[in-house]
Amino acid sequence: MEKVKEVPHIIELKDVCKEFDGVSVIENINLYVRKGEFVTFLGPSGCGKTTTLRMIAGFDLPTSGQILLNGKDISDLPPNKRPVNTVFQKYALFPHLNIFENVAFGLKLKRIEKKYVDKKGRERVKYEKLPKAVIDEKVKKALEVVDLAGFEKRSVSTLSGGQQQRIAIARAIVNEPEILLLDEPLGALDLKMRKEMQLELKAMHKRLGITFIYVTHDQEEALTMSDTIVVMADGAIQQIGTPEMIYNEPKNTFVADFIGESNIFSGVMTKDYSVRFCGKSFPCLDTGFEKDEPVDIVVRPEDVKITAPEGGMLKGKVTSVIFKGIHYQILVQCGRYEIEIQSTSTPKVGEQVGLSVAPDGIHVMKKKFRVNKFSGVITKRNTVEFGDGEFDCDVCQLYPGSHLDEEGYLITAKGEKLDLTDVEVNVEVGLHDITMSDNLDDGGAQGHIISLIYKSEYYRYIVRTENEEDYVLACEDLWNENDLVSLIIPKDKIRLTLKNPEENKK
Amino acid sequence: MTTTKPRLRFSRKLLAIPYALFLLVFVVAPLFIIIYYAFTNGDTGKLSFENFQNFFSGTAGQSFFESSRFKTIVQSFGISIASTLLCLLIAYPVAYIIAHSGLKNQMGLLLLFIVPMWVNFVLRINALKELLSWIGIYNKSDEWNIFNTILGMVYDFLPFMILPIYTTISKIDKSYLEAARDLGAGGVSAFIKVTLPLSKAGIMSGISMVFLPSMTNYVVSNYMTFNHTKIIGAFIDECFRNDHWNLGSVTALLLLTLMFVITWLTGGFNTESDTQSRGTSLW
Repeated sequence: MEKVKEVPHIIELKDVCKEFDGVSVIENINLYVRKGEFVTFLGPSGCGKTTTLRMIAGFDLPTSGQILLNGKDISDLPPNKRPVNTVFQKYALFPHLNIFENVAFGLKLKRIEKKYVDKKGRERVKYEKLPKAVIDEKVKKALEVVDLAGFEKRSVSTLSGGQQQRIAIARAIVNEPEILLLDEPLGALDLKMRKEMQLELKAMHKRLGITFIYVTHDQEEALTMSDTIVVMADGAIQQIGTPEMIYNEPKNTFVADFIGESNIFSGVMTKDYSVRFCGKSFPCLDTGFEKDEPVDIVVRPEDVKITAPEGGMLKGKVTSVIFKGIHYQILVQCGRYEIEIQSTSTPKVGEQVGLSVAPDGIHVMKKKFRVNKFSGVITKRNTVEFGDGEFDCDVCQLYPGSHLDEEGYLITAKGEKLDLTDVEVNVEVGLHDITMSDNLDDGGAQGHIISLIYKSEYYRYIVRTENEEDYVLACEDLWNENDLVSLIIPKDKIRLTLKNPEENKK
Repeated sequence: MTTTKPRLRFSRKLLAIPYALFLLVFVVAPLFIIIYYAFTNGDTGKLSFENFQNFFSGTAGQSFFESSRFKTIVQSFGISIASTLLCLLIAYPVAYIIAHSGLKNQMGLLLLFIVPMWVNFVLRINALKELLSWIGIYNKSDEWNIFNTILGMVYDFLPFMILPIYTTISKIDKSYLEAARDLGAGGVSAFIKVTLPLSKAGIMSGISMVFLPSMTNYVVSNYMTFNHTKIIGAFIDECFRNDHWNLGSVTALLLLTLMFVITWLTGGFNTESDTQSRGTSLW
């Protein structure tokens, strides 16, 4: 990101990878945190954000890569040797100690290096404990910072969740760490308390001036508190940026979906300043895409305006209106697309409305295209219906070791008999696994070629069916735009996964 | 479930009846019998405290502190304390290592220590005796006798020390240890400042499981020393065998009181309010 390099980096992760029992949880993370920053690692559970934090704290060591603190490699240092303190998710206050002893825990372990000259005139170093008066004073100050002065003698179990949280913070900051790590510290608090603590933490950050690294799965929390947000998913960083950047310019559909509410469409960039989705062309502000390049489009619900039925770019029927406090959440069905809108106006359910989006409300993102993905349904004949067509497939791949019996029921490896009719599946088909044919009865679906791009070794075609399902495929032969073709996909190239694995167990 | 069977009106309280009956017949009643004998005169059957006087008075011109009875008491205490300490010294590292081994089958490891318990107790003690006489230290001298008794006690009671300690250690939340390391404690000081105090409950219940029985388990001392080393349990046995029911009852009652005081001092009676901070114990 375009960060100015004036503030020194307090911590830097270089090509950090982490595996647990051979399973990779962090894949090649590179990031730096500037001194005094409030950085948030944001992502769904299991995305590796806590693991990253634990590697900075020293509880987990990276499998490969380096962690630099002020430019020095600390990758292999144990946690007690790092000038970093952690506020744990479940506080981890010592139950056998009172509040004072908890907060003073780190101070009592601290040794100050003291140089002196012994009788024989040699220079010696001795390590001294902090004097009791200093400890008392520091603990008192720390408790004042978290607004719990006078709680010294209380035992941990007499405190409420919010109070325990503050003690956990006091216990960490009393050691004057260079970095304070916070692992979902507000997760156990109720909403109101959480909002209060968010603001308090932010104020505390300003007052103390130390670097905060905060881990959360709550996007609102991240937007409220952070200077910089690191969005993570599947053990990799998706985007790094200020809250505004992340919200307004999400880099991919994951970020757009995770941060805030959003309508995500897939479409094509027909030319500069023009993008086509939902069956209509929209003016936009984006340029620099290839002609007819498939893209993802994000439209925030608050950027969709409701107009008279004839005045909008899209026309649809209101299906739901929900009061959300400061605005209404309105769902409008436009053909096959459901669009979410946040608005203060209240159309009636069933009313026909027009929708329009200003060019700056349309955010176009490059599509990371690897495979065709569809949602499908298994039909009676053990075929799968997706993308406006029906294809033969191998349903046995859904359950390893299974086979079909004569009647067409699936017998699992354990001998259970399953009827897969109407089971929803995710379908994936590779670019090179689809072939086109002139004979419209050959394939499972038909459509017109709407785009072809020469990619030096092959042409990349986009075939759009009648109901606007797009197939992307690669072919060495040259076809013409607007040709009507049928699409053939070999049985073994259709990869199926269950949409709701739990539900289908029954 | 929708069954049409007639439902028995069966309150959960009813389940306690057999236990209550058992308790009444085998615990409460004998206790009252002991109390009765302790506070009555053996000949007249009248209420008296002379049994206590008898217990604390010396025999044959000797004062109480010179008597063999006093020697038995001191010896019992010494054996109990030594056995308990030895058990603790062996059991704590074992429990700690098993709990921190990261093995999936920790129960299997624990079973290695428990399975010997399934062999008959007298058989095991006899086997140990044979082993000792084969080495040549069986009934060699008074000192060896005391050593052998302690050995027998440790051998017998070790699992009772390992189990509660293992349970408490394995229940200590890892985040406490991480918090300690995070706050600057090295491995050793994190153990002393966090793991050890948090496993106190297990240590305490382990101690009461070993200390009190090894005061009275005269089977071990008799077998291991050819009846040469006498502990309180043996003394009580002797009293009842020789029809000194009153003296036996007094001794038993004194021992009971002592156990009560020790349990109370070690916090064995603390309940819920405190268990959270002390961790939970097995017993």
